[in-house]
Amino acid sequence: MSVDEKKNSKRETLEQEIEAAVAEGTADLEPSEAEKIREKVRARVLEEVERERRIRTAAERRAEERRRREEKRREKHPEEGEMFQRFNRNFRFQHIVMFTSVILLIITGMPIKFPDFVLSRFLVNLWGGFHNSTIVHRIGAGMLIYFMVHHLFYTVLSRQGRRDFVLLIPTPKDARDLVQNIRHFLGKVPEKPRFGRFSYIEKFDYWAVYWGCVIMIGSGLFLWGESIALKYFPKYILDVAHEMHSDEAMLATLAIVIWHFYNVHFNPDRFPGTLMWWHGEISEHEMKEEHPLEYEEMMAKRSKQEAAEVTNR
Amino acid sequence: MRGKFLAAMIVIALGVGARGFFSPADARVSLEKCTLCHGKPEFRKILVDGKIRDLLATGETLKGSVHEKKTCVDCHFDVSEIPHRQRPKRVVCTHCHYKGNAEGAPQSDAYLEYFGSVHGTAIARGNTKAPLCQDCHGSHAIRKAKDPASAVARRGVAETCGRCHIEIYAQYKTSIHGVALSKQITEAPSCTGCHGEHKIYGHKDPKSTVFATHVAEQCSTCHASVAIMSKFGIDSEQVTTYQNSFHGVASKFGSRTVANCASCHGIHDIRPPEDPLSMVNPKNVPATCGKCHPGANPNFAVGKMHVDSHKKESGVIYYTALFFKYLTIGTMLALIAHIFLDMYGRSKRLRGER
Repeated sequence: MSVDEKKNSKRETLEQEIEAAVAEGTADLEPSEAEKIREKVRARVLEEVERERRIRTAAERRAEERRRREEKRREKHPEEGEMFQRFNRNFRFQHIVMFTSVILLIITGMPIKFPDFVLSRFLVNLWGGFHNSTIVHRIGAGMLIYFMVHHLFYTVLSRQGRRDFVLLIPTPKDARDLVQNIRHFLGKVPEKPRFGRFSYIEKFDYWAVYWGCVIMIGSGLFLWGESIALKYFPKYILDVAHEMHSDEAMLATLAIVIWHFYNVHFNPDRFPGTLMWWHGEISEHEMKEEHPLEYEEMMAKRSKQEAAEVTNR
Repeated sequence: MRGKFLAAMIVIALGVGARGFFSPADARVSLEKCTLCHGKPEFRKILVDGKIRDLLATGETLKGSVHEKKTCVDCHFDVSEIPHRQRPKRVVCTHCHYKGNAEGAPQSDAYLEYFGSVHGTAIARGNTKAPLCQDCHGSHAIRKAKDPASAVARRGVAETCGRCHIEIYAQYKTSIHGVALSKQITEAPSCTGCHGEHKIYGHKDPKSTVFATHVAEQCSTCHASVAIMSKFGIDSEQVTTYQNSFHGVASKFGSRTVANCASCHGIHDIRPPEDPLSMVNPKNVPATCGKCHPGANPNFAVGKMHVDSHKKESGVIYYTALFFKYLTIGTMLALIAHIFLDMYGRSKRLRGER
């Protein structure tokens, strides 16, 4: 209630100020004409103020929430420093959809590839039999297809998406980073390569998912609509699709379980994993450690902005 | 003596035998006395339905059978006076055939499976047409199953089963298995080869050897054997390729709707693919696949059915598998090497810091 009152009083003072300014501007006009202009200005200003207020409240509420969280965290881990947003809400949503679908697909798909494995029968019976398991697999497939389409639109339509896509394109620097990183692992050079927003490891993960999605969805659709596919293609094309689906599934699963899990879970820096996929935030400390170039860029941008604000004032 | 006494007690307990207690010794009627009537060639009876029942039984009747040394009353023990006033009861084989018998019958309980089988349960339900022991094994001319002259020998059993299952017998007789068996190829299966001997169940009973999810296993007893299949130039990998296919895996996980061997190759009418009547003849493949995949067209027959991606003959499928094999090995080796280098560097720096 007090917040609303405060806002109302703020609004009143603002209205009075504008009223005074208008009165000053129309002082040498005829009273009737001055009144007309005054009315017009008043209406327009009120509209503007109202809109501003509405925008502010939503944004303010979020900012307030974030500030409180930040304070709490800072009390707990003062060494981490400021928090930056690394992944926006849309991006995190995409990641959640993707990993949910991939987990579903792996646990319903792998028993088909390895029917004699001890857990296979359990994983199939978990859904109440083989038929249900195939339905769950298709639900997972639907989610993955949705993710792919969503991500394509995100890449094209969103500013953040376009920016990230450009930053994800491999560059010669990635090859140099890889060499330097290996030399660093071997102790040949003391300093780690300085990564930008995306390291070559993250770029590899991104393009691996791209490749995996194309192969898996492409071959999977053939197998899903086998009757339709066989209207236009001979049987051996379906066998090829089956082979691709099965083999690429293995590769993707191994890459996720070994490579991705090491980088985000079992890596001693991260163990047992961070919640970045949920809140999308990265600490200043981590930022300096893992993405120093991006951090510097952000800092440069910020100081430029501050300088601009100062000159504007 | 004690054994005979026990046997008599069991007969009483089963409620099959005598109406009162009688000494087994009294029941002895010699063979000579039986042949007084039954030894005459014209000794026969006209049944109500007009059929003539031959009642000839001489000392020769049991010759060559497993019961050669037995006398009439060893089985027809309810005949205690001559001439017998009533028709003797149906012989009960379990009188002697049980484990632990003292009569010299094989010490086996294998026949017990019969009582749970489709035939045994039909009898128990009162179906008079269902077969008892003697309907398959014969009444007097019982021979060992290994004896080629036996009614249940591999070569003759189809005819024996066919006495009731006449249509199936006709299908089987012209199938590749039936033809092979009639050509004296003893590896070819007869009815019992797939259905079992005493433990025959309906094909919808999960206990059955030919239940949808057991068919592949049943066929694989011969078709996965290189020793048998190489004799006839048949590929022994068909079973493995089926088991690795989607159909095979689904069947393994208990799907009953998915295709098993019999869905495509036929049940009793299995024929070689070159046979125009075969269900797997390329011309008939669309109709065969169409049973489950509506709208199946000749495309279904383009390409090998039992594909093994590890074999070079599979062509493009083989090269796809090869490509992914090396892609997976290469990628994973690189990634794992990166991980180990990372860990090596970490441990080294950690030691350095200490």
